[in-house]
Amino acid sequence: MRATNFFFALVVGAVALGAASERLHAQSPQGHGIAGFWTLEPGPMPPRRAPTPAEAELIAHFPEGTVLLADAGAFEFPPGDYGGLDVHEHLREAAKGYDPGDQTDVSLTCRPPGVIYSMQGPFPIEIFEGRDLIVIKLEYFDLVRVIFMNETEHPDDWPHSHTGHSYGSWDGDTLVVHTAKLLPGTLFNNGVDHTEDVRLLERFRLADENTLIVSQQFEDPGSFTGTAARVMSFRRGDDHVYPYDCDPTYGLAIESRQGPE
Amino acid sequence: MVWVSRFSAVLVLLLAGGAAYAHHSAPAFYKVDERITVSGTVTEFRFSNPHAIVKLEVVGEDGEKQEWTAETTSPSVLRRRGWSQQSFTPGERVTLEGMPSLDGSYLIRITRAFREDGTEIGIPPGTNN
Repeated sequence: MRATNFFFALVVGAVALGAASERLHAQSPQGHGIAGFWTLEPGPMPPRRAPTPAEAELIAHFPEGTVLLADAGAFEFPPGDYGGLDVHEHLREAAKGYDPGDQTDVSLTCRPPGVIYSMQGPFPIEIFEGRDLIVIKLEYFDLVRVIFMNETEHPDDWPHSHTGHSYGSWDGDTLVVHTAKLLPGTLFNNGVDHTEDVRLLERFRLADENTLIVSQQFEDPGSFTGTAARVMSFRRGDDHVYPYDCDPTYGLAIESRQGPE
Repeated sequence: MVWVSRFSAVLVLLLAGGAAYAHHSAPAFYKVDERITVSGTVTEFRFSNPHAIVKLEVVGEDGEKQEWTAETTSPSVLRRRGWSQQSFTPGERVTLEGMPSLDGSYLIRITRAFREDGTEIGIPPGTNN
């Protein structure tokens, strides 16, 4: 009898340990299946390569004349290149005086670049899906986005921030997210910022249970004409985003470098 | 003794690290399509975002000591490649491969790092992400 109890306890313990171990890893897909840890697929994104069928479906939503930017992922436009977007002339002129070395200044090193740029960067994201809220944690600069699924407009008195105000809804199996109230932030990391009036529309859709396609389209009459867009493909991972805990003194180490000029 | 070899490299952005083309832009400081190799003794290692820093004492070809600053990609990215706060120990000799600075200063953007016995530190970039 005792031996049976001991064996039973061992089995229960092993199951409990297994469950605990499971909890250490990424959350199971739930709701519409987009919850979990996602890393950007390595390599080029459209239009640097042909879109997959799932990407093409999201691209089909873009208004006619939309400029699909070729800087999603690890790629970056050089100075003066805006990917074919009709950036206003005064901003192009101002960008000529942009010094990327300023990024290492203590006051700017840990300033997040804003959610439009950050969502296409090479860092992972983690999505939590609830009934009234969807939360997206970005590893990049510890940004946290809250998408209100029970709201349908942006409150007038909502403060501007790097993540802005987002509300969303499900269009079938596609999550559609509207974001506004964003602080000015970089568009291309080469000297042109969007204004605080920029409007972002994103679509999140699973191509399969381990592939998430995200499109972003944005309009900002204060900085460019028309509609800009990006398409990114994410791969599911068994992980969580890490704390970023940005150290503002990083730039001091760079600035104190020695050697012949 | 410093040995700096320069060679052209095909520009594969992912090999330069996931964060190479993020907010703190590598092209602002580095010749991203070139590689150099620097060997020296670690004097300091800071493993914090946005980019980790290794300080290295290097003996130049003229016999003079040089203080090199070596920058990595984000520690968040490096942790998934097997790096940690203990990846470098002050006093140990290492060899760093990476991008030379634009201005010729003793600054390198690390793409790969090796211990004195040739063991690579962490998982080589591009093999798991």
